Amino acid sequence: MSSQQDDLKETDTEARFEFKKEEKSAFQTEKGLTEETVRVISEDKDEPEWMLERRLRALEQFQEMPMPTDWPGQPDLSEIDIEEIVPYIRPDIDKRGGADSWEDLPEEIQDTFDKLGIPEAEKNALSGVGAQYESEIVYQNMQEQWEEKGVIFCDMDKAVREHEEIVREHFMTKCVPPSDNKFAALHGAIWSGGSFVYVPENTTVEMPIQAYFRMNSEGMGQFEHTLIIAEEGSEVHYIEGCSAPKYSAFNLHSGGVEVFVGEDAHVQYSTVQNWSKNTYNLNTKRAIAEKGGRMEWISGSMGSKATMLYPSTILKGRGASDNHITIAFAGEGQDIDTGAKVYHNAPDTKSTVESKSIAKDGGRTNYRGLVHIADGAENSSTAVECDALMFDNESTSDTMPYMEINESKVDVAHEATVGKIGDEDIFYLQSRGLDDDDAKQMIVSGFIEPITEELPIEYAVELNRLVELEMEGSLG
Amino acid sequence: MSTQAIESLSEDTVRRIADERDEPEWLLETRLNALSALETAELPDVIQTPGRRWTDLESLDFEALVDPLNQADETERTAGDDEVVVLPFTEALDEYGDVIEANFGSVLDPEHNYLTALSVALFTTGTFVYVPEGVDVEDVTVRAEMNSRSLFSQTLVVAEESSSVTILESIETGDGEAAASGGGDDRYFSNLVEVVAGENANVQFGSLQNLDDDSYTYSLKRGVTDTYATVDWIESNFGSKLTRSDIETELNGDGSESQIVGTFFGTDDQHFDINARVWHQAEQTTADLVTRGVLDDVARSVYEGVQDVGEDAWNTSSYQRENTLMLSDDAEADASPKLIIHNHDTEASHSATVGQVDAEDLFYLESRSIDSRTARNMLVEGFFVPVLEEIAVDEFRDDVEELVLERLQ
Repeated sequence: MSSQQDDLKETDTEARFEFKKEEKSAFQTEKGLTEETVRVISEDKDEPEWMLERRLRALEQFQEMPMPTDWPGQPDLSEIDIEEIVPYIRPDIDKRGGADSWEDLPEEIQDTFDKLGIPEAEKNALSGVGAQYESEIVYQNMQEQWEEKGVIFCDMDKAVREHEEIVREHFMTKCVPPSDNKFAALHGAIWSGGSFVYVPENTTVEMPIQAYFRMNSEGMGQFEHTLIIAEEGSEVHYIEGCSAPKYSAFNLHSGGVEVFVGEDAHVQYSTVQNWSKNTYNLNTKRAIAEKGGRMEWISGSMGSKATMLYPSTILKGRGASDNHITIAFAGEGQDIDTGAKVYHNAPDTKSTVESKSIAKDGGRTNYRGLVHIADGAENSSTAVECDALMFDNESTSDTMPYMEINESKVDVAHEATVGKIGDEDIFYLQSRGLDDDDAKQMIVSGFIEPITEELPIEYAVELNRLVELEMEGSLG
Repeated sequence: MSTQAIESLSEDTVRRIADERDEPEWLLETRLNALSALETAELPDVIQTPGRRWTDLESLDFEALVDPLNQADETERTAGDDEVVVLPFTEALDEYGDVIEANFGSVLDPEHNYLTALSVALFTTGTFVYVPEGVDVEDVTVRAEMNSRSLFSQTLVVAEESSSVTILESIETGDGEAAASGGGDDRYFSNLVEVVAGENANVQFGSLQNLDDDSYTYSLKRGVTDTYATVDWIESNFGSKLTRSDIETELNGDGSESQIVGTFFGTDDQHFDINARVWHQAEQTTADLVTRGVLDDVARSVYEGVQDVGEDAWNTSSYQRENTLMLSDDAEADASPKLIIHNHDTEASHSATVGQVDAEDLFYLESRSIDSRTARNMLVEGFFVPVLEEIAVDEFRDDVEELVLERLQ
């Protein structure tokens, strides 16, 4: 064990994610998925009729669609048995829609988020925080100054009740319809929790808004829905964190994210995902950018047993732009299949994708991406860059980009490299007195630095710590 | 795939083809096995993305295209040297039956997919090239004309230890009525090529396809390398309404190499589905995949490149580049360069670009009083230079250049 990693041991990073809490719930559904389950969830949430109808329609679509099995090289999803999943657990809290003070929460939930460092971050660097425990948001708070400007940040259930019209118009209609894929349909049927963010015209939310999603119970599924609407000329940065302790049974996370980027608006969506290594992480995230709008997706995929996640942006208006930054780290037993999708549907649109992946100890990473440039999307440009680093010959690193170009006045470039850690680099660092482990870790940090420097500082630190954790021990 | 049963396709037909050529029992059996494999075999994989299928092979009407008993071709073969054997496939069976039997299907399983099985069951033409140990020949040429509604060709190249051979193959549509024999206007050409490169052997296989635009072409060429062997491919596609071309090398010997150079030029509503694949399965192997294509009018190209590095492929180097130039706003270029890496001791990269003729370059030439059409043509010619440079044989390079110019008129 190297000196640097000894230091790491003393930090609480590992413990922060690994602890488990006894299951204490006010209500939970039976395992499995039937119409009855969907009705029970909807009833427990006291939802309007139209939402129940949407859920039931999504359920029908889910049952009709086959499991995706024909993607080249895709992760094995055969273990997922919807009948074994507990789709809905309402934690034992008094207040629906989330408390606005951490003290009002039951002690074990409060303790969970304390350990995850959420209240601390809220004080220092965030405009608002939402925290979801199992299926429901338990804490939601937003600084007053933003509320005064008309910024809305609340949990999705509350939004369905209090902002019914706008939710009804945008919820799984034009961005991510349940028919998009099997897991989007599943999500549409049994979604619960998540955040609703509304930023009025020409409003800049200067500090990020954060939501943290925690699964605590064994064998549960979390299906939170996030809907972000950024009106013309507005700006917002939304951060999502995820974690769960590890159990022997599998957990399923199938979130849905819909982002509407108005004219000249700017939305940044950052995720650092550290699900436990028994979690299947199958999300559908999509943004629609109007004229001059800018969408940024920043994703760090560290955890989960298998991830299939391809945040996508539809550049709908002239001059809209997109920026994807992804880091994937697959260790033992992990299959991280992630990437980006961009549809250029208007002229003068731009996209860039930067992807870095690291595979070690038999893990697999795959960059799977699609860039589509429609006929008429003149003067569009796209640049995709994927770099992969491999540690051993048990691991796998794949790159599967797809480009569909229907327009001639474009600039399209894709580049990818795969390599191993350079012996010479290690030798150099060793000659400066670093041991092998520290040298490798330093090289990995350097490899992902172009991406971490794009992250807000707290997340960069977090990500680096997670990378260090992943690197630890296995190199000795 | 049994849905596409072809009426004239029966055991009888296959037996007749084999009988007419007086083929040995093992080949008849191979053909019959391929025939029965049609029941279950699938069409070649085609890339699919949400809502889109890059090439629609299903819509091909094989029933109308395939006419097994009326195949006709005129093929001119030159060896350039007595030491090398270059024979029409079926004629070679008498003298080289053993070599053929030992190697046939060893590189490319006849039952690989529906189209390969169909091809093996029905082939009537093709070439056998045998290069004995230590022999070095440069001018093997095979120039074929297709004179029937459908034509199935099977080529086998066996290069023994430390031999070296350059083979140029071209296929065109023949003149006159013969070409249209049997009615219907559409034609189907199927071309399977197997290359076996022995230890330290060097095979360069160039292919130029310029069939008329009523043709559908399926071409699958695969090579296998022994230790220190090299298999280089040049695949040029200019003709056909729809072309599906797969060029593949299995690097099975330590220190072996492969280069795949591809060019295509699509005009009108031509569709090219171009695939280049390399499997690194031994130590110290090197691969270089370079494809350049131009699209005009409403032509469409689909490209898939695969670099697959196996677990035991230590110290691999693998590179891939694909560039497409769009001359028309209505053209479409799809590309998917893939890396599948199972060994970390690898240096691999790929890149793909799509763009149009550079406006500044055009402006520069125009400022030198070159009219815009000529300027554009010069730039397109220039675009092909990096791949033309990879073609070692002058004759072949000239042919490609000529075809490029023809299309620019």
